Amino acid sequence: MAEHETTGEDVREAHLVTGAATTVEAADVVADGLPPDLDEAVGDGSLAAAVTGEPAAGPPRARRRDLMPSWSPKLVVGLVITGLIVLFAIVVPFFTLDPNSTDYDGLLKPGEQGHLLGTSAIGNDIWAQLAHGARGSLLIGVTVGVIALLLSVVFGIFAGYLGGWTDETLSLITNIMLVIPALPLTIVLAAYSSSRSMWLVAGVLGLTAWTGSAIVLRTQARSLRMRDYVLAARVAGEKSRRIIAVEILPNLLPLVAAQFLFGVIFAILGEAGLSYLGLGPTDAVTWGTMLYQAQQGSALTLGAWWWFVPPGLLIALLGCGLSLVNFAIDEIINPKLRNVPQATRRVRKAREREERAAATTEEAGA
Amino acid sequence: MKYDGRRVAFYAITLWAAVSLNFLIPRMLPGDPAQILLGKLARNGDVTPAVEKNVELILGGSDEPLWNQYWAYLDNIVHGDLGISVSKYPEPVWDLIKDALPWTLCLVGAATIIAFAIGIVGGAWIGWKRGSAWDHVIPFTALLQSVPYFWLAILLVYFLGMKLGLAPISWGWDVQTYDHPEWTWASVVDVFQHAVLPALTIVLSAVGGWLVGMRNMMVSTLAEDYIVTAEAKGLRPRRVLWVYAVRNAALPSFAGFAVALAFVVSGSLVMEQVFSYPGIGKLMITAVSNADYALMQGVFLLTTVAVLVVNFLMDLIYGYIDPRTRHHG
Amino acid sequence: MIRSTRRRSVVVAVALASGVSLLLAGCGGGSKGAETSTKASTEKPTGVANSTRVLNVWAGSMTPIVSNFNPFSPNVLHAAMGPIYEPLFAFNKAGSGDPTPLLGESYEFSADGTSLTIKVKSGVKWSDGDPFTAKDVAYTYNYAFSKPAYITSAEATDDTTVVLKFDSPQFTNEFSLLGTTFIIPEHIWKDVKDPAKFTNDDPVGTGPYVLKKGSVSSQAYTVVANPNFRDAAQGKPAVKTVRYVGLDGNQNAEDLVKQGKIDWTGMFVPDVDAVTALGIGYINTPQDPTTIYTCSNADQGCTGAQTDKAVRQALTVAIDRKQINDKAFKGLGAVVSPTFALLGRDDKWITNDAWKESPQSADAAAAAKILEDAGYTKGSDGFYAKDGKTVSLTLKSPSGWTDYNQAAELIASEAKAAGIKITASTISEQEYFDARGSGKYELLMGGVVGTSVADPFQIYKDWFAGFSTTKVGTPLKASTWNFSRYSNADVDAAVKAAASTNDEAKRKEQYAVIQKNIVDDLPYIPVIINATQTFFNQKDFSGWPTQDDLYMFPPSWGSVSSGVILANLVPLS
Repeated sequence: MAEHETTGEDVREAHLVTGAATTVEAADVVADGLPPDLDEAVGDGSLAAAVTGEPAAGPPRARRRDLMPSWSPKLVVGLVITGLIVLFAIVVPFFTLDPNSTDYDGLLKPGEQGHLLGTSAIGNDIWAQLAHGARGSLLIGVTVGVIALLLSVVFGIFAGYLGGWTDETLSLITNIMLVIPALPLTIVLAAYSSSRSMWLVAGVLGLTAWTGSAIVLRTQARSLRMRDYVLAARVAGEKSRRIIAVEILPNLLPLVAAQFLFGVIFAILGEAGLSYLGLGPTDAVTWGTMLYQAQQGSALTLGAWWWFVPPGLLIALLGCGLSLVNFAIDEIINPKLRNVPQATRRVRKAREREERAAATTEEAGA
Repeated sequence: MKYDGRRVAFYAITLWAAVSLNFLIPRMLPGDPAQILLGKLARNGDVTPAVEKNVELILGGSDEPLWNQYWAYLDNIVHGDLGISVSKYPEPVWDLIKDALPWTLCLVGAATIIAFAIGIVGGAWIGWKRGSAWDHVIPFTALLQSVPYFWLAILLVYFLGMKLGLAPISWGWDVQTYDHPEWTWASVVDVFQHAVLPALTIVLSAVGGWLVGMRNMMVSTLAEDYIVTAEAKGLRPRRVLWVYAVRNAALPSFAGFAVALAFVVSGSLVMEQVFSYPGIGKLMITAVSNADYALMQGVFLLTTVAVLVVNFLMDLIYGYIDPRTRHHG
Repeated sequence: MIRSTRRRSVVVAVALASGVSLLLAGCGGGSKGAETSTKASTEKPTGVANSTRVLNVWAGSMTPIVSNFNPFSPNVLHAAMGPIYEPLFAFNKAGSGDPTPLLGESYEFSADGTSLTIKVKSGVKWSDGDPFTAKDVAYTYNYAFSKPAYITSAEATDDTTVVLKFDSPQFTNEFSLLGTTFIIPEHIWKDVKDPAKFTNDDPVGTGPYVLKKGSVSSQAYTVVANPNFRDAAQGKPAVKTVRYVGLDGNQNAEDLVKQGKIDWTGMFVPDVDAVTALGIGYINTPQDPTTIYTCSNADQGCTGAQTDKAVRQALTVAIDRKQINDKAFKGLGAVVSPTFALLGRDDKWITNDAWKESPQSADAAAAAKILEDAGYTKGSDGFYAKDGKTVSLTLKSPSGWTDYNQAAELIASEAKAAGIKITASTISEQEYFDARGSGKYELLMGGVVGTSVADPFQIYKDWFAGFSTTKVGTPLKASTWNFSRYSNADVDAAVKAAASTNDEAKRKEQYAVIQKNIVDDLPYIPVIINATQTFFNQKDFSGWPTQDDLYMFPPSWGSVSSGVILANLVPLS
């Protein structure tokens, strides 16, 4: 069966791209010990077919539609949160005060003198900093996501598909990077420029962000290498580059997208961590630099919660939103994650309905 | 066997490359150790001329060519000599590490194990209860996962430590009662109390990852043939959950857990800074901020070796844990 | 293979339990010396009320603490400098007045300043019981490892008299000679083979305290009263046990002070009221000037717009020192004088009233006039430029030094209003010390070490003299602090002349020359006198220095002064 095929790898590098057949069996799954009597099959095999690249049973349009996530509440909430924050980052900075201006009194509470979220110790308007900080953090996040993506595709997919010495060399580098302590490496890289621009910080984070994704992608590429259609393409004499671009990448698209989002979350948290250690960007306001200044300025001890709490909260919210979107992507990659809970929920509800119906007829009959 | 031989060679090369990089990277850090030390001393009071002279003597800087230094470094490592720390001169690096290691292993190790255990059990439960209201826990763990660690730590210190006074906020043990921790019940409880807040911050920030991963694997596993068979055979649900499902679903997490345990050795930098906890992370910070090459190299080496050893062991053990991999060996 | 569910739950329980027990077991690693007494001193009252109360001090040590009581080592622990070892005299950094005799009784320079005769106290013993004599003093000043080059000989002419001879007049070196040289016992140190590596784990000194054996751990160490202390007969020190702790951040220390777990510390606390509201004693003795270091001398290799005197002069009138004090220093700093004489202590050395205080408010118009007179024109972007090049400077401060960082941001803001473009940023500490030592910077936030006597001479000599500096690219030598690369022949001559006379009037003449130059040239742009805050437990201990009786420099990290204060404290019942 598809999901047991490990193609020589350990099962810990578990198959995330599963076969079609399992979705049909989802309905046969037992819910809490109940017998599999209520049969409500979900999925018609077309989704899975799309993932494995085989021609779909239904019309071709079904392919793309089924590749998109279904609108589960998790996805909606995730997209809404992320969307709101992105909008906040793009639009609001045009309407705020100058975040670097120190003309205002220090440590004003939210609402005082027209400052929506008060001011910092030296008089920066917090609302303005929050908005501009959103821009900064998101820019860094996306940049790192892209860098990490590119690197992990090279060190993951290329290595996994090509195999042989290329694979060995690239894997060696990946493992070494994994073991190198990130902190001093970061300090060294960051210290080489006397002023750390946002792009430098993003670059440094990107260099340390790709190893995890590379390992995951490599495993998947290795397993895909053995698929029928890929073998067929190789036999037909297609160049490796084309095979990777046309056959492998599209199938791994959901996974790649998930890794990209992971990269963004990692970058935003990583930038906050770097800023905490005083290594954040010097030419931009980000949530990380806000947190750093708040912590340095003893914000909490001084009772200035409006300085310390909002940036951290927004980082958490953005991370949460992106994670929820990632869950939705997980559900595309592994349809069981969506279908199984749905199926068991329907089974349980149907069972409850039955019981209630039975109870009322009993009462009626009494 | 050939496969294993290549694996070993693979690990050996990685080890050598990592060790060499560990030698190079500290030396790329900017700053002259003598200037740094003197500057720091001057920030907090007078520096006597005698001390200044001494600093120049100790930290004069090696004029040896880099290549010679490299060979000396490799030679020393093979003999187990990690050198003398400059920031805590003349304390040998090994002594510093030896004193800090138990604290890090205990606290960070225990917290990692607890986070893993809670994550696996919680994830298993939520996976088992798939489709029910329990699924709504997932977004909350996502929120928790995304919180910047130090932000969480500082908030917890402020609310639980300062405002509510629930737990101590500094040190590994109460220096005002015990000069050193003792083997008495009171002292042990004291050490435990001092570990509560730091461990809590680590657990809170780590548990989400294990939970979600386990839950996803559980959901996948529960849909597999053999589970269905077990149910059809009439086995008790509890047995199906724990004996069949969890065992298999947890397998992928174990590799990650092993690596996480390995990284425990490098300590938790931010946590030890915030709580003044006497662990390895603190040594790392001291080393980096003082351009203390020997100490930095010592701590990196520890981490490198730990991670590689654990990876290697996991590779070997995995064949036994999961028979499915065996016949492909 | 785990078959039964019961065994499975046992395994889970074991996993959790092992996690917990790992915490409990084996965490007692501690550090060496754990065999002897591990219980902190809480026993044996000696008749004085509450003399068992331990005084907890944080003097700035970070963890892990490593045993080192060698006064020549850079990693020496604070208790060695004052509580355990003493110099001949204690100088009061916080006030003007004669130094307090410790081991010395009196001293006198020869007329030409090349010889110093010191009378030391008699009847003093070392903490191991051996008698202290002038021979130990002579030994200390002759000790090859620590001897300054200018001492040509040190001789004990009798049991209580020592004569030091120098190669040049040393009138201005009083403090360095008599106030910072810790006297070491000949009978111990003559056997020390490698003074650089010697950790001196069992220190023998003359001070009021000795190390409590076995008390050094990675987090703290304890000192107890020295039974052989020369004032033991008067019951000194009255505080019998003092514990020094290690902490890793001001926040941590502040929290512990508020909880009453630390009785004496000195550090920057922004919200003083929150601490004093709890009844904790507080005193602020601003001491050290905070300035903007400028790499000022193009001849020495400095590059950048700040090498033009006009730019520095414009900057000093453009910044708003009051705002900087209010926002970055929480109003705790004091007004600085461009003569670098400490206002209120060194007033007699200010040679011209016009130079008394740096301007406290921003005057963009005055800055504009200075720049325009020097040939700068304002560009369309609002910044001044000369020959097509906009004045654009970088101002860096070490990350973590919040007061500097915040001040730098404010300065950049204020300079912008006056048309000078300044970019403030933080760099790692390593880069910072590297930058200032080598001269590779334009502007840096930096402190000037305040003098320990009521005389700014040391600052002129170490920070302004041309012989205290090097070219850009060459790190500064030890004991020199002229980071700005300033080199002015008039100033150098005046410094040399002032050093060779003990006549106040003559000195003032030379200071007039120095001050005229440095006020005009501004190699260091003075910003503020940085606060030096000390918090102390006045409920359980008395004898602290107060505003009315500032007999010693109050902070816990003051070497020498800490010993004097500790010996003076009395526990209250």
